Amino acid sequence: MSSSPLLVLSVLTLSHLSWANPLLARKTGTDLSVPDPKAKYWDSVPQEHVPLMAQPMAIPRPEVTRTAQVAVQALHDGKRLALRLRWRDADRNEAGRLGEFSDAAAVQFPLAGKPVPPPVMMGMKGDPVHIFHWRAQYQRDAERGKPGMKDLYPNQAIDMYPMEFADPGTTSTDEAARDKFSPGREVGNPQSYPKNGVDEIFAEGFSTSAVQEGHQSQAKGNWENGEWTLVIVRPLAIEGGSTVKVGSSTWVGFAVWQGGLGEVGSRKCVTMTWTAFELSDKS
Amino acid sequence: MGKVNNWHLKRDMEYVYEEARPKRQWAIVFDLNKCIACQTCTLACKTTWTSGKGQEYMFWNNVESKPWGGFPLAWDLRVLEKLGRQDWAKNGSYAGKTIFEAAPPTERAVHFAPQDEDWMYPNIGEDDCMGLVERGGHIGALPHDKWFFYLPRTCAHCTYPACLAACPRKAIYKRDEDGIVLIDQSRCKGYGECVRACPYKKSMYNPYTRVSEKCVGCYPAVEQGIQPQCVVNCIGKIRVMGFVSPPAKARDDNPIDFLVHKKQIALPYYPQLGLEPNIYYIPPIHADRAYLTQMFGPLVDGAIERYRKLQEDPVAQGLLVLMGSSDRILHRFEVDKGQAAGFDEQGAEIVRVPVTERVVERLAFDEKLQAPRNNTP
Ligand code: SF4
Ligand code: SF4
Repeated sequence: MSSSPLLVLSVLTLSHLSWANPLLARKTGTDLSVPDPKAKYWDSVPQEHVPLMAQPMAIPRPEVTRTAQVAVQALHDGKRLALRLRWRDADRNEAGRLGEFSDAAAVQFPLAGKPVPPPVMMGMKGDPVHIFHWRAQYQRDAERGKPGMKDLYPNQAIDMYPMEFADPGTTSTDEAARDKFSPGREVGNPQSYPKNGVDEIFAEGFSTSAVQEGHQSQAKGNWENGEWTLVIVRPLAIEGGSTVKVGSSTWVGFAVWQGGLGEVGSRKCVTMTWTAFELSDKS
Repeated sequence: MGKVNNWHLKRDMEYVYEEARPKRQWAIVFDLNKCIACQTCTLACKTTWTSGKGQEYMFWNNVESKPWGGFPLAWDLRVLEKLGRQDWAKNGSYAGKTIFEAAPPTERAVHFAPQDEDWMYPNIGEDDCMGLVERGGHIGALPHDKWFFYLPRTCAHCTYPACLAACPRKAIYKRDEDGIVLIDQSRCKGYGECVRACPYKKSMYNPYTRVSEKCVGCYPAVEQGIQPQCVVNCIGKIRVMGFVSPPAKARDDNPIDFLVHKKQIALPYYPQLGLEPNIYYIPPIHADRAYLTQMFGPLVDGAIERYRKLQEDPVAQGLLVLMGSSDRILHRFEVDKGQAAGFDEQGAEIVRVPVTERVVERLAFDEKLQAPRNNTP
């Protein structure tokens, strides 16, 4: 029932080596504050193909690798770092109803600037990682608002919800009183509130990820002809989080989920090693 | 991977975590011979817990008619089909594989993933008899060859929950004080792994809050010594909630232990799945025996035989009368001089009922008043 010991061993020993070529982010004069996956300026940025594999360690895990690689480009403007990811995905999925899962991708940095990075599989206790997790579902929230029940089920009919009645003027305006009937909202689970496109997450190993408040990163994905193009923009320095410095190098890891194929949570494709990543002050 | 003991299977089995039995274990016993499918339990639960957005089709308690009913759609057939043929050994232990043992290396449990539409027919098959009844067939010999029965179900707050085993975020936990299994509503990210893995399909997804939810065993009531809503509102008085012990620690004066261990008339359903579920059923004596055996395992014949003989056992009769007679959790009961009494945790008496209701004969004519009696209200 457990994953093969051989596989685990090879993952551990390889974890500090790199399979892909190092990534380079050159400086641009363009303002990168608004993520734009279709911007012309990406055309001249070199692209690296980073190999991914079905996540092999935490169960449940995918049986097969559905996303074998992600094409990555990087740019910075002296204040922000923009990463552009492209991968094949036959369907566009932004989840909603039960049993539907969202397309998603994540970029991960070591949180502390230590000479040796933490384990690439989401870090470890005392050596956390900083993850930027985009979902098509979260982008939908940002663009069109978090879907209500009528959005998810246009033909639904319901007499009333607690504190929300059909007669005009009888619905309670007290949102907190209504939230008492929605446990996720009542306890402040970030999943139950509108999202901004991308979550910033700290993790110290599997099953420890925690969404951080007041994040400053942004993301925008575009799906066309069976391919996602996603740009994640983050400040170079994030107070209390990871910092990437111009003129020095760090590490980066990637993950992709194909929601339409049931990928969610630990069912994902990931980089098995860190990719070396350098920020140049040259353009 | 741990080796744990599952007494339902009379053997050890594989489970992802070590054996860690709670101080005591929440349990409900249902007498299926008495359920009338009034769904009062379902509504009691719904109005208490799941009236909000995203919970429209969420029934933590449901009552389905067997064999055709099932919520979500055909949950039982589909998980059994995935598990494939398995057998009980002659000595009564389970020779087959549990859903944990049969799982591929990529999964915690053999499962099927229910889709949205599977949850849209909560009462499909209600009152459908398993076949056409021939003229006069209903008064033929018992058991009837055409049959159906009602199966009320809640989460079983399993000793070895598949929902908990499958959650990669470890957002599900089993409480030490009463064995109730809960999904941490602040940590769940709605991956739906519990919805996939629970073979009884008692973990459900809320698309409005985007996290999963499940039966909470009415823990706020249980903490105050009160039985869950579905139990205290049961019209048929078919249920009793209490705490079940493992066999070695069973007490004859604990109502649940008495029915499960001493009399062995209440059985777990689909024990072969390997979760040690903590809802126990007194099997319906007139339903098809082969069907009951696949659902309740090889102990079903003995359970039915003993149930038929309960009229010779005043203690058992007393306990059946105590079922539904108090809202409080009965930690101990005794039957003496034609009376059955239940006691709380501190030993204080909380209920006392006659084992046999007093029969008062009112003649049609009142001699004293020289007036006829009638029953006009
Ligand atoms: S309230 Fe009792 S009798 Fe009615 S359906 Fe539920 S379990 Fe059966
Ligand atoms: S019945 Fe299902 S949801 Fe309830 S504890 Fe068992 S595995 Fe979990």
